[in-house]
This record gives sequence, structure tokens and C-alpha cells, in this order.
Amino acid sequence: MQKPREAESEKETNKLLLVVERDVRLFFQYKFLVIMRAIWFVSQIALFGLIASRLINSAVVPDYFHYYVAGLSVMTLYSAAMFIGFDLYEEAEHGVFEYLLSLPVTRRQLVLGRSIGGGLRAFIYVGPLIAISLYVIGAVNPLNFALTLFSLFLFAFGVSGMSITIAVAIKSSDRFDILMGVLDALIVRLSTAMYPLAIVQSANPLYGGIASYNPVTFVADLFRWGTNIITLDNPLLPLLGVMIFFGTFTFIGIVIYDKRIEGGGWQ
Amino acid sequence: MKGIVYILEHDFRNFFRYKWWLVGLISMNLADLFIMAVVYNNMISATVQNQIKSYFNFFAPGLAVTGLFASAFMIGREINMERRREVHHYMLSLPMTRLDLAIGRVLSGGLRGMLYMSPLLVTCFAFLGLPTFGQLLLILTVLFLLATGISGLSIVIAVSTTSLEKFITARGLVYYTLFFCSSVFYPLSLIQSLGKSGAFPPFLVTLAEINPLTSASDMIRSFLIPGYMVFSIDMVTNVLLFSAIFTLVAAFAYVEIIERK
Repeated sequence: MQKPREAESEKETNKLLLVVERDVRLFFQYKFLVIMRAIWFVSQIALFGLIASRLINSAVVPDYFHYYVAGLSVMTLYSAAMFIGFDLYEEAEHGVFEYLLSLPVTRRQLVLGRSIGGGLRAFIYVGPLIAISLYVIGAVNPLNFALTLFSLFLFAFGVSGMSITIAVAIKSSDRFDILMGVLDALIVRLSTAMYPLAIVQSANPLYGGIASYNPVTFVADLFRWGTNIITLDNPLLPLLGVMIFFGTFTFIGIVIYDKRIEGGGWQ
Repeated sequence: MKGIVYILEHDFRNFFRYKWWLVGLISMNLADLFIMAVVYNNMISATVQNQIKSYFNFFAPGLAVTGLFASAFMIGREINMERRREVHHYMLSLPMTRLDLAIGRVLSGGLRGMLYMSPLLVTCFAFLGLPTFGQLLLILTVLFLLATGISGLSIVIAVSTTSLEKFITARGLVYYTLFFCSSVFYPLSLIQSLGKSGAFPPFLVTLAEINPLTSASDMIRSFLIPGYMVFSIDMVTNVLLFSAIFTLVAAFAYVEIIERK
């Protein structure tokens, strides 16, 4: 027989899982969006990746095609995980927020569940695309790739936590839209998603400095390390960076969501 | 004629409702130029370097053309939304001919594209130098024709799709195919060499060659990048044909499809 405290804990976990499940289900309503992203992904590989690989000096990046495909997987995961912020505005516009607030779940369960749900659905969506990448890239070090997958999970949860944090903090869909556009432009381009860190640093030391601490850089490098495209002196350092990113945005997300979720003011 | 002016005013007012979205789009375009192109500058192969000299200078005209494409395409999204929300009944009730309405929509899409693209073109001139007056006139004419053709293409897609999702999917397919199978990001010779080696399907190589985005980008480069390529009248003809076809098809499709119950 279960002890009352254990039963209570299980009940609370179930509530969290319900929030996660709802967000995962919600994502698959956007089937055309999913298809469009898949088209984008495949055309990036088959057209841009293939042609750009002829553009790049092989002394700088020996196999730019594989290098780019790995970076593309991380870029796609980032944009899929970011999408949860747009859901919050949809919910606010249609009055679903009030319904969510009336549910018998705590605010913390709600934000943690949404953060996990946002990351999980991004991962479910990107999973087949990562499988395509692995097929294209070929060789994988199983042990290293297991660590890479773990870091991708944390990264996806961190990004969806960041998206929720920003959406709830600014409460304006116009501002959110532009901020996401600018963030996407800067975070992805000022990272090693498309080029090696040494080249970014030689192009502009400021860009290199930002790219060195960018979570997209950490995950892109780990992905390439897991697929034997590059070697890393110490893979635990980028992993630590991803863990800090995940921890920060999950914690900040919970605190800000808790403080800002009530009182309306959504535009 | 007066009807066309009203439609232009209506569509320009709508365009400025998306000012935040436009600021975001321009930031992304500039990030492409000032971050991605600057870094790629240090990575390109010696062969390509000899051909284009600097990736930054090569990409700047391509960026103006991509900006033009994205903004001229916005009219399609609005028309698709009007159709779904049945605002087109109101548009049809306006005291103007169907032809005025259709031409007004195509023209406004093109002019909005020109307006959005202008800061990107000015940035391009700032780094690559100014063209002669005659070249400037030709650049603006070709870009306007291109913008009108793109606006027409987006209207054709918008009135042929019944939901936003279908419109977005079709738009994505057109966007990526036309962007990546063009000389916006890389010289056409790279695509042609991939075609010759059998790594790229011949129909995609042909598409890249006749793509109006290739023609417009290469025309600007032929004026602003010395020694890159010589201006050819085919560049203008390609864009003119594209514009004529899609303006006519869009005007016809717009009137025919939105009148259906």
C-alpha cells in the first residue's frame, strides 16, 4: 500500500504530465507548419548545403556539407522549441489562459510542464529530421552521441523555457514577434551553427566572443563531436554550458511566469 | 485609375500595420549581411574568391533581392486572409472595376516590396559604390518588375489555397526553391558545375539559370562588382517575362476566383 506522501507526490507528477501531454498534442495540430519546416530542412540540406559546400575552402572546413547538416539540426531544434511562446499568445487571444489558470494545477506545475512540453514536442518533431541528418552524416560514436542527445534535450527544454519567459515578460505579440526574429537572427548567426568558432573569431573578435558563450554553439559542437565531425578537448565544458542555460531559463521561467501570469494585459 | 490609387492607399496602410514585423525582417536581413556574409568572407575557396573577390560584396545585391521577394510576397498573405474571412465580398462591392481592383492589388504588392527593399539597396550601394544614373534607372525598373511579378505569384497562390496553412506550405516551397536555386547566395557557375558533375538535377540547374532572382542579383553585380560578369539583356528579358506572366495570371485568377461562391 502506498504511503500518503508518495500518493500525493504521484498525483502532483500526474498533473505535471497532463500539462506536458496537452502541449505535445497541441503542437501536432499545426501539421502544415510541421510540413513546412520539414520542407525547409530538406531543401536546406539538398540545395543550400550541397551548393554551399562547393563555396567553402576545404582547408578551413574539410567537409562543409556534413558540418552544415549538423548545424542545421540544431537550428531546427531551436526554432521548433521557440514556437511555444507563440502558443501562449494564441491562448491569451482566445481566452484559454483563464481556463488554464482555473485548472487544479499549481503555477509552478504549469510553467514546468509547459517548458518540458515545449522541449519535448520540439524534440519529437526534430527526431525524424535528426535521423535524416545522421543518415546523411553516416558515422556516429554511440557513447558520445548519447551524451549529445542528452544535451539536445536540455537545450530544447531551455529554449522553450526562454520562449515562455520572454512571452510572459513582455505580453505583447508584436514585440514578441520582432524580438524572436531578432533573437533568431543573432543567436543562430553568432554561433557555430554555420561556421567554426576560429573563423568567427578571425572575422570579428566581438562576434567570436559572443559565439563562445552561445548555447547554440555548445549544442552544435556537441552534435558534431557525437557524429565524429569534429573533436573536442573537453566535451564536458559545452555540456556544462547547456546545463546552465537550461537551469537558468527553467528557474527564471518559473519565477516570471508565477509573477506575471495573472492580471491580464496581453496585447 | 482612381480605383487603383485607392487600392494602393489601402494596401500601404495595411503594410504599415506590420511595422514591427518589418523591423524584425530588416534586422534579420542585416544580420545575414553583417554577420553571416562577414564570416563567410573568411571561408570561401580560392577559386570562388578569384571569381567574386569578396563574399560580402557578392551577397549584398542578393540580399536586396531576397528582401524584395519576402516583402512583395506579403500581399498574398493578406489576400488569403481576406478570402478566409470573407472580406473579399467587401472588396468586390467597392465602386471600381474588377480590373482596377486586381491591378491595384498586384501593383501595391510590388510597390511595397520596393519600399521595403530600398534601405537594403542603399546599404548595398554604400558598400559597393554607386551605379551610373542610367544603371540606377535600369536597376530600379528591373526590381520593380520583379516585385510586381512576385506580388502576382503570391496572389495566385493566395487565391488558389483555401487555408492559411496551405498558403504557408505552398509559400515555403516556392520561397526555398527560388531562393536556393538562384545566384542569391552563391555564383551561378557553382550550380552549373554541380549540374555537370551529375550532383544536381538538370531541371534545377535550368531553373537557377532562368530564375528571375538570379537575373536581378546578377544584373546589379554586373554594374557594381568590376570583373564579376558582363551585363546581358537576357537578365532584363527574364525578369520582364516573369513579371508579365504572373501579373496577367494574378489579375485573371484574382478576379475569377474571388467572384466564386
